[in-house]
This record gives sequence, C-alpha cells and structure tokens, in this order.
Amino acid sequence: MIHAHGLTKIFGDTTAVDGIDFTVEPGRVTGFLGPNGAGKSTTMRMILGLDAPTRGTVTVNGHRYAESPAPLREIGALLDAHALHPGRSARDHLRWMAASNGIPTTRVGEVLDLVGLDSVGGRRVGKFSLGMGQRLGIAAALLGDPSVVVLDEPVNGLDPEGIRWVRSLARQLADEGRTVFVSSHLMSEMSLMADHLLVIGRGRILADCSMQEFMVDHAASYVRVQAPESSRVEALLTEKGADVTRHDGELRVQGIDAPAVGEIVAAHSLVLHELTLVRSSLEDAFMTLTADSVEYHAKSTLEEVAA
Amino acid sequence: MSTATLDRPVATTATRRPGFDRLLLAEWIKLSSVRSTWWTLATTVVLGAGLSILMCWGNADWLASADADESAGSFITWGMMIAPVMAVIIGALAVTTEYGTGMIRSTFAATPIRGRVLAAKMVVLAVVMFVVGTLTALIGYFGANPFLENEGIGLALEGDVARAMYGSGLYLAGIAVMTAAVGFILRHTAGTISVVLALLMVVGNMVMLVPGDLGDWLTKLMPGNAGSVIATPDPFNPFLLDAWPGLAVFGAEIAVLLVVAWVLVRRRDA
Repeated sequence: MIHAHGLTKIFGDTTAVDGIDFTVEPGRVTGFLGPNGAGKSTTMRMILGLDAPTRGTVTVNGHRYAESPAPLREIGALLDAHALHPGRSARDHLRWMAASNGIPTTRVGEVLDLVGLDSVGGRRVGKFSLGMGQRLGIAAALLGDPSVVVLDEPVNGLDPEGIRWVRSLARQLADEGRTVFVSSHLMSEMSLMADHLLVIGRGRILADCSMQEFMVDHAASYVRVQAPESSRVEALLTEKGADVTRHDGELRVQGIDAPAVGEIVAAHSLVLHELTLVRSSLEDAFMTLTADSVEYHAKSTLEEVAA
Repeated sequence: MSTATLDRPVATTATRRPGFDRLLLAEWIKLSSVRSTWWTLATTVVLGAGLSILMCWGNADWLASADADESAGSFITWGMMIAPVMAVIIGALAVTTEYGTGMIRSTFAATPIRGRVLAAKMVVLAVVMFVVGTLTALIGYFGANPFLENEGIGLALEGDVARAMYGSGLYLAGIAVMTAAVGFILRHTAGTISVVLALLMVVGNMVMLVPGDLGDWLTKLMPGNAGSVIATPDPFNPFLLDAWPGLAVFGAEIAVLLVVAWVLVRRRDA
C-alpha cells in the first residue's frame, strides 16, 4: 500500500508535483499514466525517498520509506534501467544489492532465472541491450521479494515477447496480493495491464478510477452520419435536440443514438449513406484528458509548421 | 497457483536492519567488481614501488658521495610522491561513477540512511588503500634497499623507515577518503579528480611563494604537505610538520570535508 497526501515537489519555479493525494491498493495493478514531464518519475522518486517532498507526505505500508529497516524487502523498484555501472556484471550488481539488505545470495540466481537473464548474468551490463537492462532492473526490483513493486516505464525497450512477459508478471504479482504500481505514458499499454488508473498531468491527478470507469467517463462516442442532403439532416437532428458538428462532409451526432437518428431521417424520407456508432479509443480519451497538460507539443501537420 | 492468495503475509516491517558489516560487504562488492579498480591498484603498486626502486638504483652512488644534499631516507619512498594520484582516482571513481551512471539512486534506495552509505564507502576505501599503500612501500623498500646497501648506505626496516611503510598506507588511505568526500560534494568525476590533484600538486606548492610566516604555515598545513610526511623516513622539504602532527592536521581536514559531504548528501535529492 502506497499513500500520498498533499504531495508536492517544486524545483526552482517549476511545480513538478502539485499537492496530489492518492492511495495505491494491494492486490491489483495500478497504472500511473501521464505524458512525459507530467510528474510520474518525480512522484516515484519521492515514494522511494530519493527526492524529498517540498510539502506533503508519501508512505509505504504506513511509514516513510527511510524508516524501513531493509527497504528492498518491502518495496522493489525499477526506476531507471541505466541506474547501474556499465562495467559491472548483472550478477555482481544484484550481489551488492542483496548484501546491503541482508538478502541471501541464493536469491540473486533465482531472480536472474526469473527474468530470463541467467545465461548472461556474468556479462558486463554495459553490453546489455535496453531490453536486457529493463529485465535486470525488474530482477533488482524483485530481489527482496517485496510486498510493494514500483515499475517506472517497465516496457520501454522491450520486444513484444518482453512486453507480454511484463504484463503477465504484473498480473501475477498483483494476484499474489502485492501492491503493483506501474507507470507509463502509453494508454494502450495501460489498458492491457492495469485494473486501476491514476492519470497525472502537469503535476495534478486528473483521474483516479477503475479502467472500466475511465472508459465510460472519458471515452467519448458519437454517431457518424453521411447523407447526400446533409444540411437538411443536420437541421432535422439539431431540431430534435442532438449536438451536431460537421467534419469534411460527414456529420458527427451526439445526444441521440444511432437507431434514433435512422428513424428520424427515415420519417422524413431522406437518404443515408452511412450511419455508424464511433467510439473513441482509450488513447483518444487519454489525449483529450491530458491535452492541456502536455509539456512538449509537436506540430501535427506540415501546414502548421509552414504557417 | 497455490501462492496466489490475497491473505498472503506480505508485511515485512518486522525485518531487522542489516548490520554495518552488510553495507561494508556491499561496498566491497561494488569496488571489487569493476576492472578499473584493479587497474588503478596495480598502477599504484607499479608506480609507487617502481619509481622508488628506479630512483635509488640511479642515485645510490650520488647519495653515498660527499656532495649529496638529499638523504637516502627521502629516496626510499620516492614513489609515494606519485602514488597519491592513483589514490585520487580510486577515491573519485568509487563515488562519482555512481552519480555519473545514476546508480546512486539504486544505492540510496537500498540504504536510505545515506550517512551509512558514506561511512561504509569510506571504511572500505581506507582499508583497501591502507593495505595497498603499505604493500607498495614495502615492495619499494625491498626492491630499492639493495642498491643503497651496495653503496654502504642501506636502511634498516625499523624506526622512521618502518613507520614510513604503514605511513604510506595511512597517507594513501587519507587521500582516497578525502577525494571520495570531494566526490560526494561535486558528484562529477573529472571535476573531483582535477580539484583534488590541483589541491595536492599545484596549490600545495604555490603557497610556498606566499611571503613570510603566513606562507610557511600555509605550506605546512596544506593537506598534501601535512599528510605526506608520515609516508617517508625523511621528507625532501625539511620545513614541513613532523609525521604525526602532520597526519593529525591531514585527518582534521579530511574530517571537515566528510562533514560537509555528509550534510550535502543527506539534504540533496538523488
């Protein structure tokens, strides 16, 4: 269980995390979702006692991280796949970590085996691919068999097989009753992995709900209508109280469902070429929710750049 | 799977804090598991002992002659003027590569009481450099003394000569710990090595140019000067502090740096 209360981090004149409250419950995978620069990593560093909060508190299992006598046995974290010395072997990296927390050395072989790195444990990690580095980071997180597991962007650099493996691992850890907190900037990934969502943008919590609720609340839908006499159809539907917008000759109708649109149009003997219920993806829902909180916008078309 | 139950006992707060010996082991694994450590230690021995032997071989007849104005006791530990460079490198790398690679976050996540990390690193560095420094001086002595004996000016391994052997260990241990403290303060490899080498090799000699008593005392008190006397039976510079008072000054200077490092390490975000 991770609990944050009024958690705030200010760097100079930038407020990275702005007074957030949340609880990460055991027994489920909680996704921590937000665009780059939203405050995910800063929040995770504060959970681990690496960054001191400017205000507020964050506790793990009811106490501050630093009060844990052997923290790796309580909370395991993958923070940054590069947080290791390139000249040291994977096994030696895990050995020093185990030693520092009084974890038996036999556990090193177990976790290397678990993440599929047992054959390259003696190799220097500077020669590792990004995916192998991620696997080593996950091995380090699981070293102390912790009840809380924090994974910052765990699928970065993994191949499809590795991504599936992380997904099933997160599921298994949650099913074992552990608290699993996984960050990502990819909604599609979260929708496959998380039971519960914590969406953050510009340092504020934008949504704290189950994946199901998120879809209902934020994944907007509309009815796409194409008709030869679109102006008349538009007037008709507007008259019936629908919210109609026009995009490149098609009408997007909200407020009236597709069968009702069909009936209204048929009652006036007008022709329809298309009548489709369009449900926006979770990706779109996430984009909409965080649109104002994206730190770096790319120009989406060449015309915009030219303009 | 039978372990997949929600009432699995996951509370681990009853775990006892690992002893300091576990932290020492962790830091020793870190230090001993990168090749650069072994290269640097090997270079310490080769240069530290080799230069003493080389200089005694080349200068034994002059040292025995009437017009010698230096003593054999200065030459028997000649290499200890160069070996500190290696101690600086070891001390810096042990700390700054952790900051450079981001591994410091793994370290502080594993041991959130950061003062314990600082202490464990310093103890491991000090012990390793004491052993290597003493060994280097002894190899230098046994390699160089036969050339002196040939000229009838051999030195017995007793008194100040014996003290210079483990004194070399103390000096290199001090240099490594001092550099590691600076490393925690600056968090940058090149910066740390340059600052400490400049302090030892450049500033330590420049202050001799300051006129009057002030210059004399600055010279005596500079860390490289105060700490080096313990590492030789007979220092080239006769105006430095004596061996043990010099070591005490050097130790006090290191202690100040350690306190500054400790305060900053506790306060700063990792």
